[in-house]
Amino acid sequence: MELVECKELCKEFDGKPILKNINLTIPRGKIIGLLGKNGMGKSTLIKLMNDLLVPSSGEVLINGSKPGVDSKKIISYLPERTYLDKSMTIAQVFKFFEEFYENFNIEKATKLLKDLDLELNKKISQMSKGMQEKLQLILVMSREAQLYILDEPLGGVDPATRDYILDTILSNFNEGASVIISTHLIADIERILDEVIFIDKGEIVLTSPADDLRKKENASIDEIFRRCFKC
Amino acid sequence: MLGKLLKYDLKWVYKVVVIFYILAFIFSVFTRICFSIENSMLFNIIGQVMSGITISMLVSSLINGFMRSWVRFVTNVYKDESYLTHTLPVEKKTMYLSKVLTAIICAFTTVIVALVCIFIAYYSQTNMDFLKQSFEIVANTYNTTIINLVLVISFVAFLEILFIILVGYVGIIIGHRSNKNKMVKSIIIGFASYMATSILTLVLIYIAGLFNENIMNIINTTNMANVETIKCIMTAGIVIYSIYNIIYYLVGKKQLEKGVNVD
Repeated sequence: MELVECKELCKEFDGKPILKNINLTIPRGKIIGLLGKNGMGKSTLIKLMNDLLVPSSGEVLINGSKPGVDSKKIISYLPERTYLDKSMTIAQVFKFFEEFYENFNIEKATKLLKDLDLELNKKISQMSKGMQEKLQLILVMSREAQLYILDEPLGGVDPATRDYILDTILSNFNEGASVIISTHLIADIERILDEVIFIDKGEIVLTSPADDLRKKENASIDEIFRRCFKC
Repeated sequence: MLGKLLKYDLKWVYKVVVIFYILAFIFSVFTRICFSIENSMLFNIIGQVMSGITISMLVSSLINGFMRSWVRFVTNVYKDESYLTHTLPVEKKTMYLSKVLTAIICAFTTVIVALVCIFIAYYSQTNMDFLKQSFEIVANTYNTTIINLVLVISFVAFLEILFIILVGYVGIIIGHRSNKNKMVKSIIIGFASYMATSILTLVLIYIAGLFNENIMNIINTTNMANVETIKCIMTAGIVIYSIYNIIYYLVGKKQLEKGVNVD
């Protein structure tokens, strides 16, 4: 059984199609880049996998079932926005995650937090947006999940922070799990990708193992992307 | 999971409501102190002011309880925090039940606090005797006991509070199904649902009046209704509002279970 399967998946907003007939499977144990320009449907596809949107038609299956309690136990999702209750402290957020997610590893989260020199009793409201994003990444990567979905984890951050984020992802994801990284900043993540999915105007235009694509086109994924999506 | 959700929902709502409770309590004590000083015009005036503030704090805590419960619902289910809420391994019906229970518990504690504060501010043997006599008169009129009367009044108040809470939630859920002007639509749908249900109740009373002359007399004349008719209307009201509450709860639950489209 595939980890994620999209069948004839469509999503419309006010009659305007955002995703058109997406047929896609996500295998286990791979790092997959969901690549496309801004506004092409990457986040919509991810939201559908996470039960944050309802499909207009078609379906998403996670481990063979529609998104629900079981899928949420195995998916660790990093959205592109900050979602934490600003009035909570980091310690309270850790406790919250520990209470709701059985696979949340608080020791790992505490260790990752130390690397950032953040104190447990610091309030979320006192942290910068960048720090909040890093904290969310720590929370997501501290879960022993089967699928990590990271929506624009590199968006709007400086190059040094990008390295920190990529290192955190690579050194913390659960063995045997898959990682979907949605981004338009390909050069930064191309080295870690096993497979790529190109999405354009709500349609999947290419899926391929990253190495095969590089060999076939004799170019980097970044160059292929630029060629493919030239304005 | 319900207990865990409830804990966080209650914490969020009470964070502000408790401040009003504390203020109401403090001002009720001040009221008591001022009124206990006899033969002083100044303290009597201050006491009246304190009394007014106590009542306004109690009203504020009730309104705040409702408002914060609805705001919590919107922020938690449809705004940025929804990215966490909907990715928790919790069923949507549990999430909804937690929000409804939070609002009920908050309203219930507000009533308790109100009773305590009123007792602190205004307790005297004379007032207690007056209250007891008033209840006795009403209870005797309706051929019942004071306890039964208080229970019926409390139950009717509970149904009305629950009705307001549920109408608000259903308005928010249906309003947020569209992609534009979600908040405006939520308020309009909530208010329209409240009005439509109230009108429906009047229509039902009118229909009942077609078969019962006593009920029709309440609508058509200014004559005092007899006790049996009022009892009959009260019972029907309790049944009708219980049905409304069940329907609104199920509508909200079903709509939420269909899924959300977060911003």
